[in-house]
Amino acid sequence: MFKKTLLASAFGAAMLTAALPQAALADNTLRMAYDADPVSLDIHEQLSGGILQLSHMVFDPLVRWTKDYQFEPRLATEWEQVDDTTLRIKLREGVKFHSGNDFTAKDVAWTIERLQRSGDFKAIFETIDSVNVVDDHTVEIVTKQPDPLLLNIATYIFPMDSEFYSGETDSGKAKDEIVKNGNSYASTHVSGTGPFKVTGRQQGVKVEFERFADYWDTESPGNVDHIVLTPINENATRVSALLSGDVDFIAPVPPNDLERVEADPDAKLVTMSGTRIILLHMNQERVEAFKDARVRQAFTYAINQEGIASRLMKGFATPAAQLSPEGYAGHNPDLTPRYDLEKAKELMAEAGYEDGFSITMMAPNNRYVNDAKIAQAVAAMLAKINVRVDLKTLPKAQYWGEYDNRAADMMLIGWHADTEDSANFFQYLTECPNAETGAGQYNAGNYCNPELDKLLEQANLELDKDKRADMLQQIEQGLYDDAAFVPLHWQDLAWASANNADIEPILNVMNFPYLGDLVIEE
Amino acid sequence: MTTSTTPSSTTPSPSTPSRWERFRDSFLLYSFKRDLVAQLSLIIFILMVGAAVLAPWLAPTNPYDLASIDLLASELPPFWIEGADPLYVMGTDAQGRDLLSTILYGMRVSLVIGFGAVLLQATIGVCFGLLAGYLGGRIDAFLMRLADIQLSFSTLMVAIVVGALFKSIFGGATYSDYAMWLLVLIIGLAEWPQYARTVRASVLAERAKEYVDAARVMGLRRRRIMFRHILPNTLSPIFVISTVQVANAIISEAALSFLGLGMPETQPSLGSLIKSGFDYLQSGSWWITLIPGLVLVVLVLVINLLGDWLRDVLNPRLYKG
Repeated sequence: MFKKTLLASAFGAAMLTAALPQAALADNTLRMAYDADPVSLDIHEQLSGGILQLSHMVFDPLVRWTKDYQFEPRLATEWEQVDDTTLRIKLREGVKFHSGNDFTAKDVAWTIERLQRSGDFKAIFETIDSVNVVDDHTVEIVTKQPDPLLLNIATYIFPMDSEFYSGETDSGKAKDEIVKNGNSYASTHVSGTGPFKVTGRQQGVKVEFERFADYWDTESPGNVDHIVLTPINENATRVSALLSGDVDFIAPVPPNDLERVEADPDAKLVTMSGTRIILLHMNQERVEAFKDARVRQAFTYAINQEGIASRLMKGFATPAAQLSPEGYAGHNPDLTPRYDLEKAKELMAEAGYEDGFSITMMAPNNRYVNDAKIAQAVAAMLAKINVRVDLKTLPKAQYWGEYDNRAADMMLIGWHADTEDSANFFQYLTECPNAETGAGQYNAGNYCNPELDKLLEQANLELDKDKRADMLQQIEQGLYDDAAFVPLHWQDLAWASANNADIEPILNVMNFPYLGDLVIEE
Repeated sequence: MTTSTTPSSTTPSPSTPSRWERFRDSFLLYSFKRDLVAQLSLIIFILMVGAAVLAPWLAPTNPYDLASIDLLASELPPFWIEGADPLYVMGTDAQGRDLLSTILYGMRVSLVIGFGAVLLQATIGVCFGLLAGYLGGRIDAFLMRLADIQLSFSTLMVAIVVGALFKSIFGGATYSDYAMWLLVLIIGLAEWPQYARTVRASVLAERAKEYVDAARVMGLRRRRIMFRHILPNTLSPIFVISTVQVANAIISEAALSFLGLGMPETQPSLGSLIKSGFDYLQSGSWWITLIPGLVLVVLVLVINLLGDWLRDVLNPRLYKG
């Protein structure tokens, strides 16, 4: 049996290497390996890093972040605030979609309307009241209230080809339908304005891209003609693939291999301290004990964030006690990790759970750096307060489906604030869940504190920066006192590439590599 | 063979030699005494089985007790490398489990699954083989086609499907509790045709011999003829396959655990230990994969060497000429 498996994997590896040189015949091919491939081609199906990375390859946003947090015009060329609630945007002219259709203002209006229908995105775009098409290349976005973050969320508006996605498929389904974890027209067909067209996709095997010949941004220095994205889940295998020259670009680089990659003369490593929080939700609807704040506190006391950051992450993460990383408006400097096993046991005894209880836990195994190992370590730490954990780790393609079903008592999630602002954390992770507004869409703990929600509402209307920061910090304090979730750490970012790929300029702390601008030296 | 009138015999019953005497004079022992490889293999095998059986007393910690694991003591090297902690002789894995204890417990799992699965395979396989070979006709055709169908599925595939079904029906917690026995069942059920075919072949040869005719003429019942007369004469090939199958079952379990489909993550076996260290193989902490890997190789190797020796001894063509 073992021989067969060995043979099969050797055969698979041989196929892989055989396939790669063939693709390399084209002038400039970037062979890259991520830990997973995008779960769908529909960029409104899921709000996740993988999907946004895909969006930046196949689509273009209205504006995007530069490295120093400035807005860089993309499909929007100019914008002005007409009044408190209206933003007028001039759109780029002469832009074509991959399908050949022209990009106009109605595509922007159509895309925002679709975003407001998407379960995952609607909370971000809830603030938008209406979109008025002024002429072919001008739109006006009207918000319900004055919104200080409207341009921030414009980085998430990737105009889609409204003509291409209109109408019905042969089986009578609307082409613009958004189906989570299912088969829809948009999940397998794609037409954007971005630098790359998708030419082939085998889920879990590879995605092939080709540079779009009519791409509008002729000033972009990017010279990559083809991209082959191969998902390699095994950390060690991914690193070996880079070091042996099978691929040119990998992410993420596991913490225990950072030194090895750095020491290799043929590879280069880029690291950044990240803003993505990794945390565990405790589902109060599934477990009665989690309704007791003392039990939740005991859990946060039992888990050694610093141990995880220093041992499992090799110092490649910052231990966290709150959602907002340093530099964010809501970061509350008074909150520090509170590992104290004795205190945890006391709290459990106080709550009447001295003998503990059993819970289920789920974590992805190819989404965040060391995610499965972190979950295992947490299970071991919880055993010390007599909590028996039945842990299941699964690939992210399956994990998010389970996450949406809230399939386990504790679930691991990492979150990067879409607007680079604290409010986004609260909106998605801790606000009382509300399917209609999309609030708390990823709040798998069903934690609900109406007072903090009210404070968040006020903060979102507050235009005075200091007052707003103060309110956001109060929310962090409230969440900390309630032990709304178990914060673990902010995960650092690492990418590595072959020496001839100049990846540094295209990387950013959002982890959206702008591959369209990547230069490969000959 | 000694006769009933041997005067030098000091045994209480002079008429027939005792079991011990028969063993002492047997070709089995004779060839064992002259085969250094077999002797060494047997010694190592006994040591390993002993260590595995006594694991709860020998192991410094219980690796399956999550509360005893300390993350801060993770990735410590074995004793001969600088930076080692004398508490952890063989070092620790990425989660801070003591490697020596985990290997001892893992070996237990491997051996229980190896022998358990083979016992199950042998029971089913021998019964089906005897029935098919002796009765022939439709029963033979049916059982052998069943074996053909079974053989066309690989053990790993069957194990993956059954394991996934069990997990989704009974939940992960129940699975963790019964994972070891489930693996015995799966590997046992998946490989019975190996036995059935060999036994059937031997039975076909034996059935035509006079002693079987004699038994039948005497009016003995079919069951008695099958189990008391024919079965003992087909035992040698069964023993030989058994050694190969034990080694196979151990490897199957390791492969399944390596793929993350065998023993749960909180109860690592040798296979899952090898997997958990895989990420660290090239980044310094090689011992997490290498030491359990070596243990697995040695365990399977000595079983195979013993099997080889047994095959040579039991093969009549090799010594009776």
